[in-house]
Amino acid sequence: MASESASATEPLSRRRRLTDWLSGSLWTVVFGSLAVVAVGGLVQVSFGAYSMTLVQAWQAVFNPDVVFNLQAWNAFLFGGQMPEMNQRSLVVWNIRLPRVAVAALVGMNLAVSGAIFQAVTRNELASPFILGVSSGAGLMILLVLVVFSGVTLVIPLVVTEITLGISSLLPVIAALGGIVAFLVVYAIAWKNGTSPVRLVLAGVIVGTVFSSLQTGLFFFADDIGVVQSAIAWTTGSLTGVDWEQVRMALPWTLVALFLALVSARQLNVLLLGEDTASSLGMNVEKVRFALSGVAVLAAAASIAVAGIVGFVGLIVPHMVRNIVGSDYRKLVVGCLFAGPALMVAADVGARLGLSILLGSDGQMPVGIVTGLLGGPYFLYLMRKQERMGEI
Amino acid sequence: MADETPEPDGGVDASLEREDARDRDGDTGGGTEGATAADVGGGIPPYRSNGGASEFSGEDLVIGYPSADEPVVDDESISVAPGEVTALVGPNGSGKSTLLKGLADQLSLDGGTVLIDGEEVHSFETKELARRLGLLSQENVAPDTITVEKLVEHGRYPHRGFFDGLTDEDRAAVDRAIDLAGVDHLRGRDVGSLSGGQKQLVWIAMVLAQETDVLLLDEPTTFLDMHHQLEVMEIVETLREASDKTVVVVLHDLQQAARLADKVVALQDGAVQGRGSPEAVVTEELLADVFEIEAEVVPTERGPQITPLRPLHDD
Repeated sequence: MASESASATEPLSRRRRLTDWLSGSLWTVVFGSLAVVAVGGLVQVSFGAYSMTLVQAWQAVFNPDVVFNLQAWNAFLFGGQMPEMNQRSLVVWNIRLPRVAVAALVGMNLAVSGAIFQAVTRNELASPFILGVSSGAGLMILLVLVVFSGVTLVIPLVVTEITLGISSLLPVIAALGGIVAFLVVYAIAWKNGTSPVRLVLAGVIVGTVFSSLQTGLFFFADDIGVVQSAIAWTTGSLTGVDWEQVRMALPWTLVALFLALVSARQLNVLLLGEDTASSLGMNVEKVRFALSGVAVLAAAASIAVAGIVGFVGLIVPHMVRNIVGSDYRKLVVGCLFAGPALMVAADVGARLGLSILLGSDGQMPVGIVTGLLGGPYFLYLMRKQERMGEI
Repeated sequence: MADETPEPDGGVDASLEREDARDRDGDTGGGTEGATAADVGGGIPPYRSNGGASEFSGEDLVIGYPSADEPVVDDESISVAPGEVTALVGPNGSGKSTLLKGLADQLSLDGGTVLIDGEEVHSFETKELARRLGLLSQENVAPDTITVEKLVEHGRYPHRGFFDGLTDEDRAAVDRAIDLAGVDHLRGRDVGSLSGGQKQLVWIAMVLAQETDVLLLDEPTTFLDMHHQLEVMEIVETLREASDKTVVVVLHDLQQAARLADKVVALQDGAVQGRGSPEAVVTEELLADVFEIEAEVVPTERGPQITPLRPLHDD
């Protein structure tokens, strides 16, 4: 991403000697991405309906009463009681920063998920959604919003019972829909084992069927609010997210990303092709399914909080690969940073773009901006690089 | 041993296998004696050569692909004594590669068993098998940006647990493999920048880094220029002389097989048409029957010299 970033060059030469694993190019990605996230985050906390100056915003961000307050962190991360804080800190810490955090989590998940799927399917066009995850999630979103919007679930407990509107379970249902679609795709592709081509074909077909059903359901939506809500979910949106979304995504993100990091060597061996991996003693089917599961978990975590954000999972791995090479031990780490950079930057556009361009205070789905922002950069890379997209 | 199999007509008498080509390599020490003893012994001898080479055999193998009804290899046996180099030869589509994949447990057998030192290959856990048996496929793909050293390190995959880093032993094995394959000067280069021949040597280094007792190579010299063909053959010769690996190599070039191998097994339509020493197998009759060519075969001290003359037609 920001290979030009000046902040990356100085610590680079110093740290290169520390370990050969973390090569200079990887540090470029890491520091460049951190710079983008920092700038994007600063813009996000500084601007919005509640106006404050840059200085005030920074003061609020580094307000020691919040940063070093365990009760505050308990409230953010575990949903405890929110401590007293001034209004600026409340706006920054409770409304604007969690949105940056969710964007970062979503970016990480999608980028790593895409990187895994590109290795598992040995396909340059693979994204987190190649095995039907997005269409399964999208169908469930439409079903919930249009068909079952009035349904409530009653969960009996020993003492009392919980009544939940099904719409409040939408994030979970969407994520589960994605996971189920993935399992359906895998089952269809399976015949004495499977292969990348079978998986991708099954994914495309199942995706097409589910998308048709999803589009068909739009006809039954009777008010514009439902349609807009459905579009926000199916193109991905960070509007209105707060710490609750961080709490929802964080545990799964940690699990998925930890597994992705420790599986990097398996991914590297998979890149040598099934035959070689198998003759090296890898149980290819098992590893492929397990790694796909990790990638789907990451994708599902991001769907649950942001809906179906396209494009990030496709292009970020390519961008990072372009800089650090195809070694997954570097690539996964690079994606952990570059994914958030793209998402945070795109969300700046999604949240503030309309007010700057049109003066309106509306927001657009971040999924639209990721395409608008990432697409041209990707094309620029393609023009510049002879060998692009080769895994 | 393979002797139970009825020998198809036109082939070479199985008994030739006994008076094998070992005498042209009489100075190779203990492995040679052991190999002969194993041959005569018939069944599966408990013998292990000092270098740790393994007796390797496939018995009554029926191997096919799930998509086809007819098996490619139907009820054939093959046996390789410890430390020997056996070449599989045959025309295109004769089942050489299929047989090799079956022997490596990469294709499931429809019948028969493959044994390493009397233990059934299929019963091994996948990594355990990859520590005993290495297979180099015909076509290999690697990312362009991986360095030679990293690629060879992947050869240590079966020796490493999920969380294990490279141990000193792994590094030593990688060094030995790179050294033996003669690719030390390429060590830091990206695989994508290498020529086809250099790539092949690097892949061989990766398989060597597995440090298996049994090594199966599928057409390692095909598509290489002469220099790299000879490089590959030199590696195999080194392995034969060290006598601590049992090698089965599919070769397209019969001349190379004749020069390189202790034993040659000639296949046609998935059936063994001849087996034994190169001198016994590479004959004008066999070339006519199996390869459908008319050729002149002159015995030399580097094995039989083949001069192909013209193709033969059945009709």
